[in-house]
Amino acid sequence: MGEFKVHRVRFFNYVPSAIRCVAYNNQSNRLAVSRTDGTVEIYNLSANYFQEKFFPGHESRATEALCWAEGQRLFSAGLNGEIIEYDLQALNIKYAMDAFGGPIWSMAASPSDSQLLVGCEDGSVKLFQITPDKIQFERNFDRQKSRILSLSWHPSGTHIAAGSIDYISVFDVKSGSAVHKMIVDRQYMGVSKRKCIVWGVAFLSDGTVISVDSAGKVQFWDSATGTLVKSHLIANADVQSIAVANQEDSFVVGTAEGTVFHFQLVPVTSNSSEKQWVRTKPFQHHTHDVRTVAHSPTSLISGGTDTHLVIRPLMEKVEVKNYDAALRKITFPHRRLISCSRKRHLLLFQFAHHLELWRLGSTVATGKNGDTLPLSKNADHLLYLKTKGPENIICSCISPCGSWIAYSTASRFFLYRLNYEHDNINLKRVSKMPAFLRSALQILFSEDSTKLFVASNQGALHIVQLSGGSFKHLHAFQPQSGTVEAMCLLAVSPDGNWLAASGTSAGVHVYNVKQLKVRIGFHACIPLCHVLPQVFEYSIPDKHYTDWSRTVQKHGFHHLWLQRDTPITHISFHPKRPMHILLHDAYMFCIIDKSLPLPNDKTLLYNPFPPTNESDVQRRTAHAFKISKIYKPLLFMDLLDERTLVAVERPLDDIIAQLPPPIKKKKFGT
Amino acid sequence: MVQLRPRASRAPVSAEAMVDEGQPASEEEAEHGLLLGQPSSGAAAEPLEEDEEGDEEFDNEAPEELTFASAQAEAREEERRVRETVRRDKTLLKEKRKRREELFIEQKKRKLLPDTVLEKLTTASQTNIKKSPGKVKEVNLQKKNEDCEKGNDSKKVKVQKVQSVSQNKSYLAVRLKDQDLREARQQAAQAFIHNSLYGPGTNRTTVNKFLSLANKRLPVKRAAVQFLNNAWGIQKKQNAKRFKRRWMVRKMKTKK
Repeated sequence: MGEFKVHRVRFFNYVPSAIRCVAYNNQSNRLAVSRTDGTVEIYNLSANYFQEKFFPGHESRATEALCWAEGQRLFSAGLNGEIIEYDLQALNIKYAMDAFGGPIWSMAASPSDSQLLVGCEDGSVKLFQITPDKIQFERNFDRQKSRILSLSWHPSGTHIAAGSIDYISVFDVKSGSAVHKMIVDRQYMGVSKRKCIVWGVAFLSDGTVISVDSAGKVQFWDSATGTLVKSHLIANADVQSIAVANQEDSFVVGTAEGTVFHFQLVPVTSNSSEKQWVRTKPFQHHTHDVRTVAHSPTSLISGGTDTHLVIRPLMEKVEVKNYDAALRKITFPHRRLISCSRKRHLLLFQFAHHLELWRLGSTVATGKNGDTLPLSKNADHLLYLKTKGPENIICSCISPCGSWIAYSTASRFFLYRLNYEHDNINLKRVSKMPAFLRSALQILFSEDSTKLFVASNQGALHIVQLSGGSFKHLHAFQPQSGTVEAMCLLAVSPDGNWLAASGTSAGVHVYNVKQLKVRIGFHACIPLCHVLPQVFEYSIPDKHYTDWSRTVQKHGFHHLWLQRDTPITHISFHPKRPMHILLHDAYMFCIIDKSLPLPNDKTLLYNPFPPTNESDVQRRTAHAFKISKIYKPLLFMDLLDERTLVAVERPLDDIIAQLPPPIKKKKFGT
Repeated sequence: MVQLRPRASRAPVSAEAMVDEGQPASEEEAEHGLLLGQPSSGAAAEPLEEDEEGDEEFDNEAPEELTFASAQAEAREEERRVRETVRRDKTLLKEKRKRREELFIEQKKRKLLPDTVLEKLTTASQTNIKKSPGKVKEVNLQKKNEDCEKGNDSKKVKVQKVQSVSQNKSYLAVRLKDQDLREARQQAAQAFIHNSLYGPGTNRTTVNKFLSLANKRLPVKRAAVQFLNNAWGIQKKQNAKRFKRRWMVRKMKTKK
């Protein structure tokens, strides 16, 4: 395998943005997650919880509500007063419709999936009709005194519960008038000066309205009479979210202390028919406010200010009890935010609104295995490039030679040329981008830095030739007719002849760059293993899976390998040793040596830390997967040259240290 | 009646005498009065003094003969001249003002969009088509010129967003006032959320204290998670660093 010097980088100050809303789509088992910076991500829960699509954020878009309607249509509403529909195929925004009610606080789709209800700042509840290509305003309900913070439809679609400040109103949909107005106590058994904000309501089919509010109470109301049935005090802080299962026998609430409570409908005694709601399980997986929860048929999903997305499968609902039924915590992005220039030892970090360029430090010392070598030259912050406009940066890349930087937002594409003179760096923008290069989903430079590959969100793949200070558009590969899929992942071969691109529908297309025509397009599980924990290898000249890949498939992977939770983020190859593949995910990195035999289930997959003597080496089972868990959590790992690796870590504590204040917890003795 | 030159007399002259003699003197007086704006006594005093001096020299000569008609004609001419100058001044001032006004209007017009664009704007606003904002760039325009033109219509609410006006560029024309209102409402909403979650009355603590709770409860108590306050004394530390560098340099020099 060889010895490597590893640059351990911890100065990437990456803080993800807090999760604001989640919406679960039952039909396709997908989860839409929206964050406070306006990004919307779509996770495929059946494909190993992989983040397959995302919509970049915008500074003015502060989403407050997210919902699926009519099957596969995704709507969001925010504080800028607009309802936005997302186009899931083309990965952009279809349209934004102003609701003319001020900031929108809540949104709910009707059970029949044909209507959309929004609750606005001025106290009005507006009903919209969902037409095949747009939404249309239908009518207003009775206007209330204060802002409508939460909405819920009755499963039959006849009534609506709207939670506001200090009261809950029940509306009749047909007439649009408020039938009941239920006043909420400001404090459980007491008085308080602070107004009670009803953060969430849920309407059950038997007419019960469940409300959660800022005093820490979960209350059950009878909507026929407008009276309080039961009140539970579950927290000392706000209870901020509620989600009910489809079968209405359980619901989940999230509190500001980070606790998620599961309520279930259980019979009073073991053989009676009368049932009551009982708080069954508390889960403490978050440190900060849990602003949103969702209930899928088999699991509880929660997300909040501490930026983790936690998916907790419920044991009693899960059929097969294997590793899939364990807790999933998605913290790190599934996309690459870092690119590396091998020649000049530069790293480009992508943030939401700016890019940072750093030069790695160097050392002249040598040492044994496991030593930390002192730096003779510190890492240098070379460039801080701020983007213009309110949109977030989608993707960025630096060329391997270090002289080009390209990045793209949702509406513009930027290309910069860098000049280096004696430790100083000079940046010049290449202006007059062509019109078709609008927004790119993925940018990649070729190995010799002469070509730039851009995957635009219309499905086309552009090749641009770079030379000197100018560029020239060479070719554009149009997508196959009938599909408008956006290309998500790109990879280029080292000699620059072949380009592989994978789209959203899990097919991989390989393009011959030299002759500029499409060679193969086929459908298979995504090779280069981004989603599934499996590795495929496809040989382009021979046009079939390599023998090694076939043997790996036949042999099967080690069970521990299949049980990794995070997807593989990056793969690189050693230029001199074609038998080695270097890949990494968030918690380990692995070098696969194709010449060595494959491990079977019985052998140790994770080799212990470096051998101390020769007998150890022989005793250790020699197999193809050399895995190391020294550096974690890993955001990026790449081979710089023959003897050097760079590993960018992001310790969780550093992220938590920059989050907003959590609720105070009083512990005895402190 | 023959007008005699008034003789200097020590005694105060009577009002009648002043009036009588004032006719020729009045011309001069009138002139003086009009042009110099001095009080009549002063104006009257001057010709008197002059006459005094003249008197002494040409005491023996006969006084000048001035007919009433000629004097009257002179007076009228003087008045006419004065009136003319005033009128000329007024017209000159008017012209100046007019020119400045025109200049201002022209400058204003130069600042605004060309007429073609404005025409298209007004016609497009009739049709009221909206385009999705994600695809176009927003350009804020002041619609003051339209207000001036339409006059009374300035009170009416105009359509906010207009379809792309020119074919080559795509942008939206938005009224500034509405944009400000929208921003204000969004700020108010965000302030409400912040206040209700992090404002007074909420039981919040810092992340450092939160994570250090566990350390406090350990059997062997440990320090807080963020024990060091790196932001303390930044200036002091910088000064110390600079001093150290200078001291090292000095030491090296003296050693040599």
